[in-house]
Amino acid sequence: MLGPALKRSFLLAVILAALVFGGLLTYALQLTETPDIGNNAGNGVGNSVAGNAATANNDAAPQSLVDAGRYVAVAADCAACHTTPDGKPFAGGLPLASPIGNIYSTNITPDKASGIGRYSLKDFDRAIRYGITPEGGTLYPAMPYPSYARMTDQDVRALYAYFMHEVAPVASANRSSDIHWPLSIRWPLAIWRKMYAPATAVVPVNLAKYPDPIVARGAYLVQSLGHCGSCHTPRAVTLQELSLDESQLTYLSGGPEIDGWVAVNLRGNDGAGLGRMSAPEIADLLRSARNTKSAVIGAPMADVVTHSMQNMTEADLQAMAAYLKTLPASVDNSTHYVPNSDTANALKAGKESGRGAQLYVDNCAACHRSNGEGSAKVFPSIAGNPTVLAGNPVSLIRLVLAGSELPSTKTAPSNLGMPGFAWRLSDSEAAQLVNFIRQSWGNSAPATSAEEVAKVRKTLVVAENNAS
Amino acid sequence: MSEDQQSPSRRRLIKNLFFVPIGVASAAASVQVLQTAVAKPDDANPNPYRPSFFNADEWRFIVSACDRLIPHDDHGPGAVELGVPEFLDRHMQTPYASGDIWYMQGPFVEAAPEFGYQGRLALRDILRLGIKAIDAYCARQFAGKKFSDLDVTQQETILKAAESGRLKLDEISEKMFFNQFLGEVRNGYFSDPKYGGNKGMGSWKMIGYPGMRGDYIDWVEVRDKPYPIGPVDLAGRRG
Amino acid sequence: MAIVKDKVDAVIVGMGWTGAIMAKELTDAGLHVVVLERGPDRDTQPDFSYPRVVDELEGSIHRKYLQSLSKETVTIRHGVNDTAVPYRQMGSFKPGTGVGGAGSHWSGCHFRALPEDFLIRSNMEQRYGKKFIPEGMTIQDFPVTYEELEPHFDHFEYVCGTSGKAGVINGQQSEGGNPFEGSRSREFPLAPNPNYLGAELFYKAAREQGYHPYPIPASNASAPYVNPYGCQMGPCNFCGFCSDYGCLNYSKASPNVCIMPVLRQRKGFELRTLSQVLKVNLDSDKKRATGVTYLDAHGHECEQPADLVVLCAFSLFNVHLMLLSGIGTPYDPVSKSGTIGRNYSYQNLNRVSMFFDDTVQANGFIGIGGGGTVFDDLNGNQLDNAKAGFVGGGVIWARQPGNGPVRGIATAPGVPNWGSDWKKGIKEAFRHSFYYEVQGSCMAYDDAYLSLDPTYKDGYGRPLLQMTFDWHGNEIKGSQFLVGKAIEMCKSLSPLSMKGDAKKDGEHYNVTQYQSTHTCGGAIMGNDPTTSALNRYLQSWDVPNVFAPGANAFPQNNGYNPTGMVGALTYWTAKAIREMYLKNPGPLVHA
Repeated sequence: MLGPALKRSFLLAVILAALVFGGLLTYALQLTETPDIGNNAGNGVGNSVAGNAATANNDAAPQSLVDAGRYVAVAADCAACHTTPDGKPFAGGLPLASPIGNIYSTNITPDKASGIGRYSLKDFDRAIRYGITPEGGTLYPAMPYPSYARMTDQDVRALYAYFMHEVAPVASANRSSDIHWPLSIRWPLAIWRKMYAPATAVVPVNLAKYPDPIVARGAYLVQSLGHCGSCHTPRAVTLQELSLDESQLTYLSGGPEIDGWVAVNLRGNDGAGLGRMSAPEIADLLRSARNTKSAVIGAPMADVVTHSMQNMTEADLQAMAAYLKTLPASVDNSTHYVPNSDTANALKAGKESGRGAQLYVDNCAACHRSNGEGSAKVFPSIAGNPTVLAGNPVSLIRLVLAGSELPSTKTAPSNLGMPGFAWRLSDSEAAQLVNFIRQSWGNSAPATSAEEVAKVRKTLVVAENNAS
Repeated sequence: MSEDQQSPSRRRLIKNLFFVPIGVASAAASVQVLQTAVAKPDDANPNPYRPSFFNADEWRFIVSACDRLIPHDDHGPGAVELGVPEFLDRHMQTPYASGDIWYMQGPFVEAAPEFGYQGRLALRDILRLGIKAIDAYCARQFAGKKFSDLDVTQQETILKAAESGRLKLDEISEKMFFNQFLGEVRNGYFSDPKYGGNKGMGSWKMIGYPGMRGDYIDWVEVRDKPYPIGPVDLAGRRG
Repeated sequence: MAIVKDKVDAVIVGMGWTGAIMAKELTDAGLHVVVLERGPDRDTQPDFSYPRVVDELEGSIHRKYLQSLSKETVTIRHGVNDTAVPYRQMGSFKPGTGVGGAGSHWSGCHFRALPEDFLIRSNMEQRYGKKFIPEGMTIQDFPVTYEELEPHFDHFEYVCGTSGKAGVINGQQSEGGNPFEGSRSREFPLAPNPNYLGAELFYKAAREQGYHPYPIPASNASAPYVNPYGCQMGPCNFCGFCSDYGCLNYSKASPNVCIMPVLRQRKGFELRTLSQVLKVNLDSDKKRATGVTYLDAHGHECEQPADLVVLCAFSLFNVHLMLLSGIGTPYDPVSKSGTIGRNYSYQNLNRVSMFFDDTVQANGFIGIGGGGTVFDDLNGNQLDNAKAGFVGGGVIWARQPGNGPVRGIATAPGVPNWGSDWKKGIKEAFRHSFYYEVQGSCMAYDDAYLSLDPTYKDGYGRPLLQMTFDWHGNEIKGSQFLVGKAIEMCKSLSPLSMKGDAKKDGEHYNVTQYQSTHTCGGAIMGNDPTTSALNRYLQSWDVPNVFAPGANAFPQNNGYNPTGMVGALTYWTAKAIREMYLKNPGPLVHA
């Protein structure tokens, strides 16, 4: 039997909980007001991708606006999530792994029954920049609306024109997520949205901040349409990106694990970042997934190159690269590269310092060479490579175990590939090899362990199972 | 292939491959003779390879012939200790040994040696038939003894005669059989250990072949010293 | 009932070098092209990936990357009155299969042809008189000249990243190259590869004899290289597995590396693998092809209609298809009439092996397929044929595509084939020996030809191609002459021992030993439709919408490897199709 004091406390607690719950619910359900961007209202016209093309209403859009919208869709890479490998363009259905289960991208073709055919421009804008569905619900932040929030009104209008007038309607019902109740309750998402992507944050990138117009353009593309931060910026425990522009050192300093790959640090770190790459070399990576010394690894970024960036203008690629080069090193600058010829000299003479060196000679040297420098545009240099020097070695371990293949792009059609070595290396050997390359030719990065390799190896099996 | 997934611990250097089936006459005598050439099963090798293609008689021939063709000596390991009989047994069970890449349609006619083997036997049957024929020849010449019962000199004489076609066998061309058999013994002696022979990369170490390394750009122009790095096998082990 | 596919502009049979070149050129011209390849798709990853690919048992014994003979092979006989028997086990020549074909497993030696090779008949007659060419030797001048092919030789070398040194550029001698070559319009795309020991010593030995050695033009890239199509090649690392294997690091030129990446992106290009073309279909007049019939991967018979049929199935199988399809008249060696199958020729190879002591680091496992050193002083116009006693010529070279113990270790004379002395012999030889080779020309004869076998069938019920061929005295003399010169030269290197294997008088063609996959002729190009199957644009005289690029077009074979010429002729043909044929389909040459 509970005593009266305890009974009182218990009652108080229940009332408090109910009040909090009620407050949260009210807060969540409050409608978010958003401005109307119909006609030529809006700002940021000078630097938006869509330029100045006018639009009156849904039904008549000038071809120039549709063309501009097509380019916006390429730069924003809508296809990455809304088109499946064998599916019709933008018909949705791609599973996106979330911490609480798979969600499936939606049909954004203009089909009136199963797509967005009934969306007004305002509905469209509210979805893309505010994360709000026409019914007032909140989109899962798998849709990068915190980034798209920085698009200009004109780019939204252009994108709308493209989707309504050029994309072919496809009848394909949206698939509900695999998330189970109670985690499937949607209204708490509104709280997340209002805290981390409030309507007031929907402001196009302030280009006046950047004195160089090329850097300004790059900033616009990287922060909004490119939504690079969705992968490349670390997230809080509450899952929002820690920063959305260069005002904080966390911006683009390396992201979470996506499909087994850890997105690299894009800041100026000399070891783990782009500090030693020039802007044109970065643009090479964006255009063709490879430059003289380095390459994109893993399917997620390869897809971005294939569907989005290889189809962007050269000026835009150079602009994005120029903007990235303005970002100083992130706080964790612990890995470094100081060129040193000791390893190369030893290996070239057939001297092996230990098992790690032996494993390098037997598995890697055939392509990456005894000097660790690979061959220009063919095999990346291991010496001074950002993936090799990343603080978190997960990508590197995955690469050693599973290999990677370059995409075939318009300007560089060869899909050069690295085989995986999981079949040949034990966990301990893979760790020794990784540790060897992280400490050779002047590389300096911390060691990994057989346990860490084992963890990555497990995810390979899962990936294979999921692929079938 | 399933071999890729075998753990390295299963690949042990097997010194003794000789298995004596129960109930075979003169088994004791065979063991006696073979002890001059081959070690007995012991605690270090409790699981000698047991053939699944060749029968006991064929196996005895193979072990003895391997020992003659590539003996253990001061130059290096012999075929038996490197597991060549095991290689042969396993190789005969591959599609290759069943004539997978040979044209096996008839009619089968005699032809000059420049045109190669024109018979209808696949490799596995050539070896089987040849072993049987040579054992039968030995039995005729040596009062019932099979090839494996003969002493070393006698065995060498038989092999040389087969090599030059002087046995005049009816069942099969001994020269053709010998060439095929020798080729297979060499394949087993020199191929990657995953196929059962060349245990511990013994042959590669003997001749200085780097095995599965396939990368020599740093050594093309080196003239003053030998290539110093030891062999590596497909499984990634060093010799 | 055959499944009839939608008609296309062009159907190409085979996805090797000639198929890839034709597909690239025709899709450039806007044609919708279907390529039917009997084998599987192949690409560096995963099919040739390191280190699995360097497995000698898989590659050289199981012959994983070569064509299996079980379903398709040829029959061979020496003389016209003999009975041909099947080529049952791979030996003398090694056809390829799959995407890339032999172009994936070749070594990479990439020569052109000497200007005088194009005019061998008139050149021999002019130098030595008409009687110098024996009766029965049916050699012919090519209907094209070196000068006409030069731009195509050049282009193909740039597609392949050929690594070498020019000897004559725009008529001017250039230091370090072949002083006797036909003039080039520019330098090679890449500089030569480094020299392995044998290649380095060859310079010394050759110069002592007064020869003019130069680097073998090698389509094994010596540096990272992007070809004119944007395709990327990487530098050769001397892995030693060129011959019979796919390249593990994008350095050996192949259709897979040099052309396919661009082709696969093209909407007008469709590749169907595991598609076995059975025959070319002709209309009732037999003057026009309507397309081809093939078996798809499931074994269904399909018809692919097309306006243009290009046979790119490798020299032997191009001829086979023409015979099976009734294109042209088969050659009859008795009446010596008919054109399809005539003038089959081969390559005349022999070798001198040298054995040294253990201070000599020869390392036979270090290998590059096309690289090495060669001289032309006994080739083309440099050779005094009357003195040498044979028609033709040849090269002597140092080459080391790479060796391994399963592939076979050459041992010094006197070493037995087994036993303790054999072990001693291989230990002494493996890292301390190398060889030089002679590659001689092979003339064409009226009794060396291709036809359909009367008895043996392939896996699809069709008669096998029958090859009638043997060594003639001319080639035996050539072998003895060239090997003699090679032995003389090798003496200056003072090996401990040496062995040469020149052909002996009366020696017969032995199909059991690998010699070369340079099987040439059978559907030759010429100016005269009574003695050739194809006109100067490799267009069938008989069925004008059929073209057949390949070494089948050579009226005879010279001392060089044929691939450079095959590629050049294919670009030449493609140009004729694009610029002339498509505008006005029909015979391009009126004889």
